[in-house]
Amino acid sequence: MAQYRTQVRIIADVLSTARDANIEGTGVGVTTLLRKGNMSYTRMSKLLSELVGSGLLLELNGEKISKYMISEKGIQFLAAYYSFEDFAQSFGLRL
Amino acid sequence: MSFSIAYVAFRGVRQTKSSSLLRLATAFVFLGFGFLVEGLVGLSLVIPAVGLTATEVVVGGLLLETTGYFFLAFSHAIDVVMSKRAGAALLVFPVITLSGTQLANVLSILSFYFVLYGVVETLYSYARTRKPDTLLIALGLSLIGVGTFFQWLSLLYLQVDVLLLLQIILQEMGLLILFTPVLRFAVGGTKIDGPV
Repeated sequence: MAQYRTQVRIIADVLSTARDANIEGTGVGVTTLLRKGNMSYTRMSKLLSELVGSGLLLELNGEKISKYMISEKGIQFLAAYYSFEDFAQSFGLRL
Repeated sequence: MSFSIAYVAFRGVRQTKSSSLLRLATAFVFLGFGFLVEGLVGLSLVIPAVGLTATEVVVGGLLLETTGYFFLAFSHAIDVVMSKRAGAALLVFPVITLSGTQLANVLSILSFYFVLYGVVETLYSYARTRKPDTLLIALGLSLIGVGTFFQWLSLLYLQVDVLLLLQIILQEMGLLILFTPVLRFAVGGTKIDGPV
């Protein structure tokens, strides 16, 4: 059964994709983020703007398309997220 | 211990903006103040100079505890709604609340049902995640639940002192178990300072 994803979970999913799929170190395209993030383009665009605005993602402007890379602040957020996810799961809850 | 759990949960709220953690933190703040009032009432039985034996204070403490247990159950209820399945334990909620004649009795039995609901939902979560910590928390909640049941009995049978003693021992043991994830935070050296 599909599970409801909270906003913080969606953010963590996008950030972890931006971290894990950035193998060459040149950033990750929107298509990859869309495929792994499982959401619409409109919603993803809005979320990416918010994440770049809050400093969790870095936007790398290429010739044609923008690519995204996780920032140091984003890595810290993910570490905190996983720690508190573990804490919440201990109480039988989800973040 | 309650305030320590609330503290870690509040740190989590600051960092992740999680509503689940906010409800958890709120639950343990209420529980902490409830236990504090209950402790002071107990202390005033030993040291009369403390002077906190009035029924209003006792009921106030119980009200704080019940509110805490409500938020604990409420966190699970939200989780149930999100996963779009009915919480089986929710069905047993309204049965006994109508039978109570005194407010203290009603609050005690309500607390018992809230904790019972929390236990069932935590066990459901364990079945999903197979995380040993979750099973441990279910055990802790169970002990608190049984303690709450003894608390209710001690209100009915005032002359039986052993019920009150059993309640305190069981609830202390349960809280000690609930404290385990907080200890893991401290031992694991997880950085929890400042919002990200």
